[in-house]
Amino acid sequence: MSRRTRRYRQRIYEALDDIRRQNALHRFGDAYLAARNEAFSGLDFDELRREIAVMKDTVREDWQTHVDTFIRQAEKSGAAIFVAEDGQAANQYITRLAQRHGARLAVKSKSMAGEEIELNPALEAVGMRVVETDLGEWIVQLAGQRPSHMVMPAIHLFRDQVAELFGKVTGAAESDDIAHLVEVARHTLRKEFLEADMGITGANLAVVEDGSLALVTNEGNARLVATVPPVHVVLVGIDKLVPTLEDAARILKVLPRNATAQAASSYVTWIRGPAPAPNRQRELHIVLLDNGRSKLATSEQSRDAWRCLRCGACANVCPVYQAIGGHVFGHVYVGAIGVVLTAFLHGLEAAAELIQACIGCRACVEICPADIDLEHIILHLRRRLAEKEGTGKVKGVVFKRILRNRRLFHGMLRSAARMQKPLTDATGSIRHLPLFFSPLTEWRTLPAIAERPLRDLLAEEPCIFAPRLRIALFGGCAAEFVLPQIGLAMAQVCRHLNIELVYPETQSCCGIPALYAGDVETAAELARQNVKALTESEIDAVVTVCPTCTSALVRHFPELLADDPVMAERTAELAAVTQDAAAFLSKQLDNLPPLNHPAIPHTVTYHDSCHLRRGSGVFLEPRKLLKAAGWSLKEMNHPNRCCGFGGSYSVLGQPAIAKTIACDKLQDIMGTGAETVAADCPGCLMMLRGLLKKRQLPTEVAHSVELLAACLP
Amino acid sequence: MTTSVHLLEQFCLAASRAGAKTVRSICPATAADYIVRHAGGAIMLPDFPSARRLDLAALLQAHGGKVQSGDLLRTSCPAEAGITGANFALADTGTVVIESTAQEVRLASTLPERHFVLLHPAKILPDHMAAVPLLRQLHRRRSPDFIAFITGPSRTADIERVLTIGAHGPRELHILLLEELSDDFLEC
Repeated sequence: MSRRTRRYRQRIYEALDDIRRQNALHRFGDAYLAARNEAFSGLDFDELRREIAVMKDTVREDWQTHVDTFIRQAEKSGAAIFVAEDGQAANQYITRLAQRHGARLAVKSKSMAGEEIELNPALEAVGMRVVETDLGEWIVQLAGQRPSHMVMPAIHLFRDQVAELFGKVTGAAESDDIAHLVEVARHTLRKEFLEADMGITGANLAVVEDGSLALVTNEGNARLVATVPPVHVVLVGIDKLVPTLEDAARILKVLPRNATAQAASSYVTWIRGPAPAPNRQRELHIVLLDNGRSKLATSEQSRDAWRCLRCGACANVCPVYQAIGGHVFGHVYVGAIGVVLTAFLHGLEAAAELIQACIGCRACVEICPADIDLEHIILHLRRRLAEKEGTGKVKGVVFKRILRNRRLFHGMLRSAARMQKPLTDATGSIRHLPLFFSPLTEWRTLPAIAERPLRDLLAEEPCIFAPRLRIALFGGCAAEFVLPQIGLAMAQVCRHLNIELVYPETQSCCGIPALYAGDVETAAELARQNVKALTESEIDAVVTVCPTCTSALVRHFPELLADDPVMAERTAELAAVTQDAAAFLSKQLDNLPPLNHPAIPHTVTYHDSCHLRRGSGVFLEPRKLLKAAGWSLKEMNHPNRCCGFGGSYSVLGQPAIAKTIACDKLQDIMGTGAETVAADCPGCLMMLRGLLKKRQLPTEVAHSVELLAACLP
Repeated sequence: MTTSVHLLEQFCLAASRAGAKTVRSICPATAADYIVRHAGGAIMLPDFPSARRLDLAALLQAHGGKVQSGDLLRTSCPAEAGITGANFALADTGTVVIESTAQEVRLASTLPERHFVLLHPAKILPDHMAAVPLLRQLHRRRSPDFIAFITGPSRTADIERVLTIGAHGPRELHILLLEELSDDFLEC
């Protein structure tokens, strides 16, 4: 482990000890989601975000022309424009401007771009006093910290801490009553507004058609910053350009709803040129900031991040953010978009640990108002990081030498099944591991490798004559070697449906572990092997019992083999016929014979696996299966929140974060009082079973196909 | 219900949800009386067409109001209230749109504790998208310009996400709907 990684681990441990902050971020996430749903009621979020994505892409593709036109239009209105290639150039322009005006005090409204280029230290270095006026930013400034959230900079601090900080400014003991604290800020900062020589704001939108800028705020500080001081500087990234006022209106419909769950923010201020003041000259300077954005625009894999509206929602729903907060899961920008922007605006090295801290649950992708596939981009960055730093010694050997060679890999798992026997209990799990492996079983048991793999068990299943359909089962490593009973259950259900299930012999690992670690070569080799294995004979569908494997077959294989002239077509065909077991079976339920239902239905709660819910959009189907199997479904809180498994994330990557996320899930499950928890992903099942067993809780854990099979006649 | 009545209803509902107070169907004299009673002190009155049309300064003074005008940044005693007109409003969000290029208008709607907005009830558009052609006209008419879309009073939730009204702008937003105002959407 590198020194950088060790230092980062230390910061994670410290953050995980701060239970008060964790609880606050969880409550925030919950309240946000409820209010946001309300704010979007009656609107088609997906359509709105597609429109925004298309519009922002057109700007990105030709950003230079848009910048040029914006400059012409803004100059017409009397603004001075400076295009800053990087932060240093921007800081130099603004500090020189301040010096030219003999400015001593600058008031600022919140600007993430200002944080990005460290404008405050630059101004202070030339002897200026800089006062942040957004309440959260001011608190963070007084604390000598950085914002831990793009929209709520001081979300990590509490009223007593704020009272203490304010007390140092006023010289009095301030009560921790929030209304009082807001009043202290209003009163104290009012004087600064009136005395300031320079006002600095960001901008949420820069409109190309007429050179206007829009500022969105709730507090009203940006209006004062833009009105009172004689010089107004607007620092705005070139990614904030939109072509027309209609485009701006589209963003303004979505931005406040997604950022703060408001139909509209209190103030949207449109500025064109320096608004006049009686008896004095005012100036408006617009600093258009590149600082890595043009590089982002041309990155084939990451360019969608250009669309970001800076709403902060990706952090609100992120389980990693909720566990460790924005100071640890962020640099200047936080959360999922923070990972990506940090890589481009501050360099891959600054983003390295953040890239590894993402668990890949896609909660951010679902909530993003600009339709950015953040997980996809972070995976790509992980690849770039692996190219630069390698995947680590252990993973390197496992992926290149073992995983690519199916016979060797499967042979090793078979011998491991024999060798683990002394550690395994009667239920087939490993409760304790010796020596340095022991942290792995400290908070959850690990499943043992099954005595016989799935392919051996399926070979003993009876044949079907004259089947209605013929499908191939893709097992995946977990169902093949750890939980073969899932695949067996699938075979039993198929038999009752008069569907022939074949298990192509040469199928191997789907390659996701290698891909997620950044080893694209191994992933592509495995994709090739599997496409061959699964397209050799005539079948009606390929069905998986692991949604992560589905995402590999449907999404990643076509990407990995896009340039392979022989395989590309077969890969596309395979992707088109592949689906999850629940999705496939939910359409077959009418063909099942009458099922044996218990007289009194048992209660089950369902956990939506990340790759099933957000990867394949499948969530109604498994619930349909459970109801068909005679279960009474009791929904848990946050059914679609990650369970903390994340593949090697919970074992090698970030086990401490994984544990925290897993304990959240456990609480939600126990809250239902259900006898059984069902899920469709073997990874989730292993995680949930391990958690429950370690605590000796009686709740059963099962794949929804297993529950369906259990009531077959 | 006619379209304009429907928009008016929708506007009032959305504005009150955003924390604004709407006062409907009043005459200029009652409006002046309402403002004076709720102002809580001196009233900033910038120069805008509807104020001139109603001779609002005189009306307010007749009801006992203490009116400030001129260069409001230089006045010695801070005003408790400010009055501006509204060019038009948006029904879906309860937003008032105010051309605020003149510094006095910006200050009157920003500095005081209470902001009173005069709005003609026929000047309500369905939403922001419907307002874009007007925004474009306003932008083209004058340069530079400064246009404020205001929805409810100033607010913050920056401390423990607790919603608190009155951060840096007005704590109260009163929207007075009067038919005696200019019905030109480009004029306040």
